Amino acid sequence: MKKLTLRFVGYELRNAVGNWFSVFFGVAFPILMSLLISKAFAGEMPAESVPAFETGVFISMSLVVPMATLLIGYAANYSQELEKEVPLRLRLFGCPEGVLLGAKMIANLIFVTAALAVYTAADILLLRIEPPAAGSALLLVFSIYLLALILFVLAHGVATLFGRFGPTYAVTMTLYFGFMIICGLMGVPVERLPAGVQAAANVLPMTYIGNDFAGFWQGGSYDFGPLVLSFAILGAISFAILLLGLWKRRRRKIS
Amino acid sequence: MLTIDRLQVRYGNKTALLVDRPLEIGAGDRIGVIGSNGAGKTTLLKAVLGLVPYHGRIRTKLRPEDISVHMQQNHYVGTMPVKHIISAILNTDVKTDKKLRGLIDFFEFSGCMDKKYPALSGGQKQRLTIILVLYQDAPLTFFDEVTSGLDFETRQKLMEKMRAWYAGKESAVMIVSHYYDELERLADKLLILDHGRVAAFGKTDELFRRYCGRAVVTIPANEKNRALTAHIKTVAAPAHLLAFPCADETDEAHLASLFIRENIDYRRSGTDIEILYSNVLSGGGAL
Repeated sequence: MKKLTLRFVGYELRNAVGNWFSVFFGVAFPILMSLLISKAFAGEMPAESVPAFETGVFISMSLVVPMATLLIGYAANYSQELEKEVPLRLRLFGCPEGVLLGAKMIANLIFVTAALAVYTAADILLLRIEPPAAGSALLLVFSIYLLALILFVLAHGVATLFGRFGPTYAVTMTLYFGFMIICGLMGVPVERLPAGVQAAANVLPMTYIGNDFAGFWQGGSYDFGPLVLSFAILGAISFAILLLGLWKRRRRKIS
Repeated sequence: MLTIDRLQVRYGNKTALLVDRPLEIGAGDRIGVIGSNGAGKTTLLKAVLGLVPYHGRIRTKLRPEDISVHMQQNHYVGTMPVKHIISAILNTDVKTDKKLRGLIDFFEFSGCMDKKYPALSGGQKQRLTIILVLYQDAPLTFFDEVTSGLDFETRQKLMEKMRAWYAGKESAVMIVSHYYDELERLADKLLILDHGRVAAFGKTDELFRRYCGRAVVTIPANEKNRALTAHIKTVAAPAHLLAFPCADETDEAHLASLFIRENIDYRRSGTDIEILYSNVLSGGGAL
């Protein structure tokens, strides 16, 4: 059986870069969104409030990078692979499921890193972003990577569960826009959403990152309890969906 | 090397495959698997590969990596040139690996290395998988309808390349095909499946002698020929042919002289798989 190699990671990285869903939604889209929202609202507020507002936009739109790259781009790509039985073909060449999963995860985290770097550089050039406290910046980066890992598991699980592009894309697109809306990333604050939707928002880490992180961007205290709990809940659900998908696609071994 | 015993594969209430006697695949075997659509050919391969649930036993000391397979459908990602796919799957450098370069040259694939998979022609796609499969040099290799969908010329070239590649090698090969001429060139044993059951299994020449005799002479099945040969014993044959079994040289000579005298085109064969297949399935049993 083959092991996880740099060649496999390079293969999966090319696979991610060659996927226009990831390139458009994960790289171009968040830059366009942050620019659009900033320019649409910044003109209506006092000049001294603009940097704080645009910083908030930068932080909340940074969530689009892992969400779009993984929920839309990766899920679309992997479900098409499953539909054409590419993973089965690779497995028959002696590439175990675990090796493929590991290579895909590493490659997509590298892609997210590159996409975040491009997004940050573009927003620094185009928006007025307040300089962060070191701890806050590190916390944002850590949170985005943790979120990316969980969303990778969720996207892989949904694609594995359905095994086809159509239903996978429908579900992950619904999840993507659903998360965007209920976490307050589409312009409607969480507080103005119905109580039931607010309850759902409270178990999603994107709600806390997108709405609260700007508050301690330049320093200050914050209660991380709800954020940690939301990561645990989303992570557990995603892992359960992955296990369900793997169980559904299990195969009988030679005796 | 691998023994299949009392194997049963069911899809819902339907038995897709039932192997009630042991089937053994030994080192160096070249086994052709033949049968109509739904006969259980691909199901057999999938069971051996553990891709479908089954009852029964498949005994082997081979590890999964000792078995390579060319499936009926083989797809790869379309996001990068195929050279990167080859490099990742085989974990090798496509530029410096001599064994791989040899295969690429042998199958005339070097011009395709920078193309993406969807841009390859049908024959090029088949050759890509063949290169990946052959590189593994596995003790046991399955080919499931390698040439389906290819034009006659490409099919012939591909088969000739594969025959040359395996000449003198000890690897066992099991090849599923609807094309009798491919099996005549590549296989020395036959597994004939019919409606999910094993109709016959053994060396091609032995099966031929058992079901058809020493040789068979065939002529076109038209009214004149039917009338001329009405008194001569026939065996089962495709609708466009009349086939006459020959127990010995005298029988052959007698038929040949008759057809020469009557100016009838005839063909003599001692290994014709199409005739053998027709006779195994005709239900007439061995001669």
